Amino acid sequence: MNEMRSLRVLDRFRKLFDKLGVNYPVMRRILQVKLTMDGRRVPTIIGKSRKKDQQDGGTEKNQFFGSLWLYLIFGAFSSMFVALGDNFIFQMSLVFGIFMFMIMTSLISDFSSVLLDIRDRNILSTKPINRRTIAMAKMLHICFYMFFLTGAIAVVPLVVGLIRHGVGFFLLFLAELIVMDLLIVVFTALIYLGVLKLFDGEKLKDFINYVQIGLTIGIALGYQLLVRLFDFVDLQVMFHPKWWQFVIVPIWFGAPYEVLLHGDFHPLYLLFSLLAVCVPILAFMLYLKLMPSLEKNLQKLADPGSRKKEGTGKWLRTISGLLGSSPQERVFFRFAWTMMGNEREFKLKVYPSLGFSLIFPFIFLLTSGMEHGLSGLPGTKLYLFIYFCAMLVPNVILMLKYSGSYKAAWIYRVLPIGDFTPVYRGTLIAAVVRLILPLYAVIGTVFAILFGANIIPDLIVAGLAILAYTVLSFAYLSKALPFSERFETAQQSDGLRMIPLMLLLLGFGMVHFAATLVSFGVYVYAAVLLAANWVLWQKAFSGKS
Amino acid sequence: MIGNNGYSNSNNPNNPNNPSEATGQFSHKEPVITLRDLRMRFGERYVLNGIDLDVFPGQIIGYIGPNGAGKSTTVKIMLGLVERYTGEVRVFGASPSDGGVDYKKRIGYVPEVAEMYDTLTAREYLTFIGELYGLAAEDAESKARRLMEMFGLRDVINVRIATFSKGMKQKVLIISSLLHNPDILFLDEPLSGLDANSVMVVKEILALLAAQGKTIFYSSHIMDVVEKISDRIILLDGGRIVADGSFEQLQGQSQEGSLEQIFNQLTGFNEHREIAEQFVSIVQEV
Repeated sequence: MNEMRSLRVLDRFRKLFDKLGVNYPVMRRILQVKLTMDGRRVPTIIGKSRKKDQQDGGTEKNQFFGSLWLYLIFGAFSSMFVALGDNFIFQMSLVFGIFMFMIMTSLISDFSSVLLDIRDRNILSTKPINRRTIAMAKMLHICFYMFFLTGAIAVVPLVVGLIRHGVGFFLLFLAELIVMDLLIVVFTALIYLGVLKLFDGEKLKDFINYVQIGLTIGIALGYQLLVRLFDFVDLQVMFHPKWWQFVIVPIWFGAPYEVLLHGDFHPLYLLFSLLAVCVPILAFMLYLKLMPSLEKNLQKLADPGSRKKEGTGKWLRTISGLLGSSPQERVFFRFAWTMMGNEREFKLKVYPSLGFSLIFPFIFLLTSGMEHGLSGLPGTKLYLFIYFCAMLVPNVILMLKYSGSYKAAWIYRVLPIGDFTPVYRGTLIAAVVRLILPLYAVIGTVFAILFGANIIPDLIVAGLAILAYTVLSFAYLSKALPFSERFETAQQSDGLRMIPLMLLLLGFGMVHFAATLVSFGVYVYAAVLLAANWVLWQKAFSGKS
Repeated sequence: MIGNNGYSNSNNPNNPNNPSEATGQFSHKEPVITLRDLRMRFGERYVLNGIDLDVFPGQIIGYIGPNGAGKSTTVKIMLGLVERYTGEVRVFGASPSDGGVDYKKRIGYVPEVAEMYDTLTAREYLTFIGELYGLAAEDAESKARRLMEMFGLRDVINVRIATFSKGMKQKVLIISSLLHNPDILFLDEPLSGLDANSVMVVKEILALLAAQGKTIFYSSHIMDVVEKISDRIILLDGGRIVADGSFEQLQGQSQEGSLEQIFNQLTGFNEHREIAEQFVSIVQEV
């Protein structure tokens, strides 16, 4: 087990932890173990286990760090706003808006499972460790990743700020980043805590996922609202402070620059600056007070549910009968269907992207087509934004191979399955019907209302395109049997591999756009897509595993 | 309810208590565990329906009952894993719901499911657990190493637990529950997966520990083992204690020969033959 440098940094704050009632040596040890485990890949039940790194001291590489470069690039782009000029309230609010968006999204989708971890209760909670210590270890475990994430996204902007605006700017920026991270982690934790306290049983388990969807939608909308605060007049950005703007958190972080560096003592700037300092600190203090109760209430997630009434499963069997082409495929359709509904971690990781997919088509509508209001929409081709709802497809497919009970994957090897095609196809169909189709139906209905019924053929074409896109994504991404690998703590959606898929989706949209320019083009495109789907759903699954 | 809360331990020669004082022998001893009217509800269903129990040092308690009778829940409540129960729980005088955790230093726990951080090596895991119990890292490691050797696991001490067989994992779990020399042991199917030789070793270990005044709370479904090693048997059914006493006392009161038969009788079960026949006939349907 490595002695990590980050832990030695932590040692300097030991007195603080002692004061907070945390058993520091124990917490440090838990962190060390957790971080060590994050760096070790779990050998899958299926597939070759690498003998070499089974031994202690084998190569330990945390997958997380490989994905940081994406944040580095995002940061580099946003450093443009830092360099732009000295309209700090605009530039820095925007920069913080981007940062908060990126970091909070990652926190909600990738680290909710750490915060809500109940797997190791039997190991940790049976030992003489107080709840505060366990909760603090969890919090720092998350903060460890937040630190590197923030570092990656902020390093270029920080350097640019230092060169362009001097040391004062740099220091303020740095201090605000720390407060921002604190706010993000504590805010998320407090929301979960509230849900855990207020709800019980099955309702709680569902509600956690709705909260995730709500949060992602909230972040996306908040970000839009932020951009809308500024009036662009003759390339000059005007900002008029209004009291209600305090709901838009990134503004808080923009205000101190005006106060401290421009000497603008507008009362609202002062108020916002005060909020930027006080709210995170107060929230943190509240969190410290409530922390043990978070741990205590987590048990609710582990409680055996009240025995559900046994449904007949008749309608599920009917759907699988309609969609599955072989008995085995139907079996795996139903299996995947139930797994997706029950797998806690799957839902924790997928539902946030469901929120994004739900809101993004509308955000793009708002940002680029609303000069004439809602009535200006019919007749335009902006309904093509519906393609954005397929953004969750790669994420869903990526997550399908993971499970909390991944060890049960031995059944695949024991069962008399000669060809795994039905396994893959059944699972993928289940994902389409359970997650993608309802989402598409909702957005499609709203779009049909907004744009008029004559876009229905286009909506069908887009649906077919997304269906084809789903198979292609699957063929490109998934190489493991469904539900056969362990979720890893610091799992990042694989940024590099996602980019071609995003381009592919864009391609589908462009072809669709081109088709609308030719008479009957859409119908021809529909025919092509039907044929393509037919071929793809036959061929894409062979030669796997 | 048959039997009484006192017990006789005539089948455990290692126990220092004099069997002839069976009824009054604990008047001078404090119970290490006290449960009073313990009830626990999940949703609408009561898992525990009023448990009253005093457990004294040096007892090996066989805690038995049908699946879902509430055995694991009782243990989890005492460990502070499950809350929102009603009634009184005292372990070494401390109540788990008070939030104090020091009493856990004197408890060792082998859960039913071999849940461990299995990406760690056995050495790393055991050292970690020892430290959580307050041992110094070096002490924990040296103790773990020696105990692993005793169980014949010397060669795999630096191998990740994920690759272990079920029996090897079980041995690691047993070691992890004993590193800190606890006064109470909660064991849930501790022999599961162990080979016959290891079973003999572990049984002997338990007898020796009890002889030193340790209390062992032993849940199992293997009646032969419970019958042999326990000096007090508590039978739980439907969230209530339906029998409490030494094996001999239970035998005397229910007129049955083996613990398995007593178990069947007290849980009102006598149709194993019919069920087995129906089961097989269903199996053969295909």
